Amino acid sequence: MTDMITFPDVVNWAVPLFIAAILAELLWIVIKGRGGRYETRDALTSLIMGAGNVASSILLGFVAYGFFMLLWEITPLDLGTSIGVIVLCFVLDDLRYYWVHRFGHRIRWVWASHVNHHSSQHYNLTTALRQTWTGTFTFMMVVRAPLILLGFHPAMVLFVGGLNLIYQFWIHTEAIGRLPRWFEAVMNTPSHHRVHHGRNPRYLDCNYAGVFIIWDKLFGTFVPEMEEEKVDYGLVHNLGTFNPIRVAFHEWVGIVRDATQPGLTWRERLNYCVMPPGWSHDDSRETSGAIKARHVRQNPDLADTPGLPPLPDQTP
Amino acid sequence: MPLSILLPMVVLGIACIAVLLHLLGLSRRATLPDAAAARAAWLREFPGDAPVHVTLCQDHSAALIETETGRGVVWPMGADTTARHLTGARTRRTKTGLRLDLPDYTAPRIHLTLAPDEAAAWQDALKETA
Repeated sequence: MTDMITFPDVVNWAVPLFIAAILAELLWIVIKGRGGRYETRDALTSLIMGAGNVASSILLGFVAYGFFMLLWEITPLDLGTSIGVIVLCFVLDDLRYYWVHRFGHRIRWVWASHVNHHSSQHYNLTTALRQTWTGTFTFMMVVRAPLILLGFHPAMVLFVGGLNLIYQFWIHTEAIGRLPRWFEAVMNTPSHHRVHHGRNPRYLDCNYAGVFIIWDKLFGTFVPEMEEEKVDYGLVHNLGTFNPIRVAFHEWVGIVRDATQPGLTWRERLNYCVMPPGWSHDDSRETSGAIKARHVRQNPDLADTPGLPPLPDQTP
Repeated sequence: MPLSILLPMVVLGIACIAVLLHLLGLSRRATLPDAAAARAAWLREFPGDAPVHVTLCQDHSAALIETETGRGVVWPMGADTTARHLTGARTRRTKTGLRLDLPDYTAPRIHLTLAPDEAAAWQDALKETA
């Protein structure tokens, strides 16, 4: 079995590109007076979160890589490193990304890591870099296990994962409107991903795709950007701090506080960790489903439109 | 990429972008032009808890909100705003106004710029909340 395979660390090599693209987007916005917004503290927080993500990858990357190499030792399969295999690995890894991302919005333990990416009220290229410091602790590396057991080398799997992240950088912009119809149909685009970052009830928990939007269309989570409903970026309850430490850890703190309340059953404590964000043992909070249902009750004319459920009495 | 190149590039890149943004005037904080804007900013965070009374501070940087469930505050987060209920908040006078300490990890401290008489009035109002 081929163990000594190396692929370039593409995310680190893309850092100069990230900086140049941010400067280009900023200048475009300033010169044209449209195409997005920038604010100093917001952007600074996003960039520090990005740097922290790189640091945490350097410090904790050995955990995932060690796990992957263990699987590589176990598997009898080796698909090699041909171009066709790399392309197949990229597509399957994008499917893996879709599900990890979906879990990241539907399981609070994983949301605790991912939430910081959604914590900016802005949507620009710095938002793309507002990445987690705590991804290792979600244990979502297990979702990559099937790829390695199928015979894709761990170095290749991490390489295509890096390419996936680089692709997702440029879609975090308001400077690009809609792209040609064929492209919007297949690929994740700025328009599709703006929707994903929306806090409007309609736009909650949809468009999880990394590169190919077809996964959302296939699994029923696609919502188009609506001309009549501008995306409102941020969290349902926006943060009141730019402190990167609080941005990185606030949901973990929330889980600990909720799960250690006195008087709960063990099942309720577990549910505070694994149920969707907004779940509470006494129904004192709202999940995205409850928010959508309330929005439809308040605006019946919006029922059964993209991203929103039918009115309760219309549910089959 | 070697760490000896990556690290300085990241630090310099972040610093340059932050300085450029500030020099371009993009550090301005949001203001609330009128009570309607404060009300809208509150409802953006708490759509089910309508304000019954809004007190906009003199420099339009924040607003004290009263709803049927209690008091809250709307204040700028950079170019945007956010809001919190003030249950359990502690207040402290500062040279520039009022400091609110909240039992909330996501908004532990809010600095409000208020005129002296305004700060006293807000502090009195908030004593009833805490």
